[in-house]
Amino acid sequence: MNRALRRISIAVLVMFVLLLANVNYLQAFEAGNLANKPGNSRAFAAQFQYQRGEITTADGKVIASSKNVGGVYKYQRVYPQGPEYSPVTGYDALYSESGIEAAENSYLTGNSSKLAVRNVIDMITNKPRKGATVQLTLDSNAQNTAWNMLQASGKSGAVVALNPQTGAILAMASYPSYDPNELAVLDGPQINSNDNKLLKDPAQPLLNRATGATYPPGSTFKIVTGSAAFSQGNSNPNTVVNAPTSLQLPQSTAHLINNDGEVCGTLGNNKATIITAFTESCNTAFANIGMQLGSATLKSMAEKYGMNDPNLKIPTPVAQSNFPLEPDQATTALSAIGQKDDTVTPLQEAMFSAAIANNGTLMKPYLVQQVQAADLSIVDSASPTALGQPVSPAVASQIKQMMVSVVNSPDGTAAAFKNAIPGVQIAGKTGTAQNGINNSGLNDAVFTCFASNGNRSMAVGVIIQGGGYGAAAAAPIAVGVLKAYLENG
Amino acid sequence: MSSVATSEDAALGGMPDSPVAMPRGRRRTEAAMLLFAVALVAFAYANVGFGLKGSLPSGMAEYMIAFVVLLALAHLAVRILAPWADPLLLPLAATLNGLGIVMTYRLQEVGRNGNPGTMSVPLSSSATLIQIVYTAIGLGCFVAVLALVREPRMLQRYTYTFGVIAIVLLALPALLPASISEVQGAKIQIRLGGFTIQPEEFAKLALALSFAGYLVAKREVLSLAGRRVLGIDLPRARDLGPVLIVWAVSLLLLVFESDIGTSALFMGLFVCMLYIATQRTSWLLIGFVLFAAGAYASSKLFGHVGERFQIWLHPFAGTNAFNNAYQLVQGLYGMASGGILGKGLGAGQPYLTPLVQSDFVVTAFGEELGMTGLMAILLLYGLIVQRGLATSVSVKDPFSKILAGGLAFILALQIFVIVGGVTRLIPLTGITTPFLSQGGSSLVASWILIALLMRLSDTARRPPPQPIQDEGMTQVVNLS
Repeated sequence: MNRALRRISIAVLVMFVLLLANVNYLQAFEAGNLANKPGNSRAFAAQFQYQRGEITTADGKVIASSKNVGGVYKYQRVYPQGPEYSPVTGYDALYSESGIEAAENSYLTGNSSKLAVRNVIDMITNKPRKGATVQLTLDSNAQNTAWNMLQASGKSGAVVALNPQTGAILAMASYPSYDPNELAVLDGPQINSNDNKLLKDPAQPLLNRATGATYPPGSTFKIVTGSAAFSQGNSNPNTVVNAPTSLQLPQSTAHLINNDGEVCGTLGNNKATIITAFTESCNTAFANIGMQLGSATLKSMAEKYGMNDPNLKIPTPVAQSNFPLEPDQATTALSAIGQKDDTVTPLQEAMFSAAIANNGTLMKPYLVQQVQAADLSIVDSASPTALGQPVSPAVASQIKQMMVSVVNSPDGTAAAFKNAIPGVQIAGKTGTAQNGINNSGLNDAVFTCFASNGNRSMAVGVIIQGGGYGAAAAAPIAVGVLKAYLENG
Repeated sequence: MSSVATSEDAALGGMPDSPVAMPRGRRRTEAAMLLFAVALVAFAYANVGFGLKGSLPSGMAEYMIAFVVLLALAHLAVRILAPWADPLLLPLAATLNGLGIVMTYRLQEVGRNGNPGTMSVPLSSSATLIQIVYTAIGLGCFVAVLALVREPRMLQRYTYTFGVIAIVLLALPALLPASISEVQGAKIQIRLGGFTIQPEEFAKLALALSFAGYLVAKREVLSLAGRRVLGIDLPRARDLGPVLIVWAVSLLLLVFESDIGTSALFMGLFVCMLYIATQRTSWLLIGFVLFAAGAYASSKLFGHVGERFQIWLHPFAGTNAFNNAYQLVQGLYGMASGGILGKGLGAGQPYLTPLVQSDFVVTAFGEELGMTGLMAILLLYGLIVQRGLATSVSVKDPFSKILAGGLAFILALQIFVIVGGVTRLIPLTGITTPFLSQGGSSLVASWILIALLMRLSDTARRPPPQPIQDEGMTQVVNLS
């Protein structure tokens, strides 16, 4: 009987070896895959066991931090400024993140391979693990002004301010916004209910209008049309062009008129200089220029300014600003004045001005200044890079001359802001974009501008939905943000 | 040589300078290993407290003293009743029993006293105390078996009595109304007042005893070869009777109690013992083919069984992971989160797995002690099985041989079925994990199984009586 017993012993040995091998497989080899399965609440909880890194502004204001609340999910995210910064920070909820919380997640959690050595040292020295601090480029003063003024306007819209020399984003506000604290609660059903409420809100508070939505640029696009014209080398701001009060569009019965059917400039005979047409924002003059240049030339210049780029990340993804090739002269004419199929993000508006302010070189916009590990060492820091050079320094100065005229000339569309900031010259361009089906919607107010006090400089883009005239609804906010930033420098 | 062994020598008429080398009882080894087991369990218990609260758990001293006293009494009983028994069986079982108490305490604390989590079925606040009472009952039965069964062969007399007891125990839940016998679609328990008894745990032992007696009587007949087919000696058709009866009983279990795990256990036990008794490979094949056919047919005929296969094959498909495969998947997630070294006792989230205290207790150990801890636990079981099989090889009398082999094998098979089930090696079937699962029936039955193995190993290792001629030198009595 012992022969049978020995065989049974071997069978038993095989059974135990199979069990041991399977335990090895599950807990050593398959563990990672199982942790990544959707619905694995243990893996979710693990993210909340460590203190997540803070998010701060460039001037050190804490805009997201983690609070120890005990329980399974030990740390809860807290956003002291609520909706003001939520378009930038996003939220860190149980099941998902957005904004910077998502884009910089590996640094904030401390899981980044760049932090691996420090984590091991922390484990050995028995220090609690903590994520890295992400310092943004935002200026809390400019951001606060942008948010307060948007909120005061009561209309949905967005503000983006850039440092033209580096591309650093100094302010990025969107209204209406949401309080990310509502999505940071550590209670799944509560998050779902809050999230559903926000998703159903017709005001779309979750939409980051600054980079996530596009609007017609209106007359601010004349910066691009002007850039394309001057870059050809056979015109300058003083070149006289046809600027009729009414322009019949080719192969069309439609007539294009200037704002309120005004006559452009004082030269008469339906003629005006380009700088006058720009200052008074005459549509017919730029429609003519656009038709002469052709859609392909305009599209090429628009792309140099950063349009038609689906891949821009700051590091959060940015919606593509669009300038499609137009099929005929009539639509080309409309696209040259920022109508028809042209749409831009408020960030793109700021980029138009930033390129001019930086002598024609467009810097890549970015939000993250540096990443500091828990031991205060810098693990990552921003290195400004050029996105391209849409215009030569000479053309940039010609466009700047025209943008200054918009503010300084008594006939300029933004003449009201000539001395808005004492001792500082503002250069800008207004836009009042027609909107909706058959232009039935309220006009969007658009303003792009830049200014420098010798020490600091800033380019701002503002779009206010249904704001009406750019000079009336958008420019005061842009100038307010400029003032807040330059006067504190 | 231990003092007990020496007195034993004297009792057997030996002399200190006896020329024959006496085997040792090794009771001191057992005592030392028991101390080690107690230290390990106390450490684990303290670990739970530190993992949860950062301090020693309240009531730890009382519980540990109770545990030590129980083990000391069991050890003393072994010294008196089975001095030659294997010295590792008691410490191994005590370690597992102690770890079971620790895990019961850990799960009892879930959601209590500010500790995180909620249990799908919360344990009562006295679950640990009850588990210690069950341990006391288990060890009481352990001592009782050692005291009553002084010679394993006497059990052979009750072959048919045990058979009847087993069938009654098995049939009982199926015959009783579902309200007191059904749990999760399977009719496997008897609910009496606040307590539940799982009769199959005891039926298992009664069947092993009954099979052993039957096979010793009939093994000559059963090993007679009939025809030879494909190089295998098939038994005579008329001898197939008992195999078919056991097969039918295990199928009836499936049909009326939807309990595929126990059914597999019984079939495996019988075929294994049949093989030990007859040494005929053909019985293994016949048993396996019959069981596979029965299992396949029932998976097609009964939804409960078929579903188990689907869960096993596709736990993550569609919404399975959130529906019927939820428990299995949560157990796997728990083990994955434990990784190689585990979260530490009290620091994981085993309570996310439904009913983790019974069938899925192994995944709780996997989560909190990691792959390392779980492998150690599996090796503890492996050692018990090995001691049992070694006993079976060394014991002389055929009844004891078949019984020891069968008991060791059924323990191994039970571990394989439940651990393999919760780790998705094989389809999951709900049976308890010996010693570790919270609850009384399984614990008491497991201690009886250990007591039987102890008695068998005592018989195997007991030195033969000294020949009367070998009395040694004439005694010199000093009458000063």
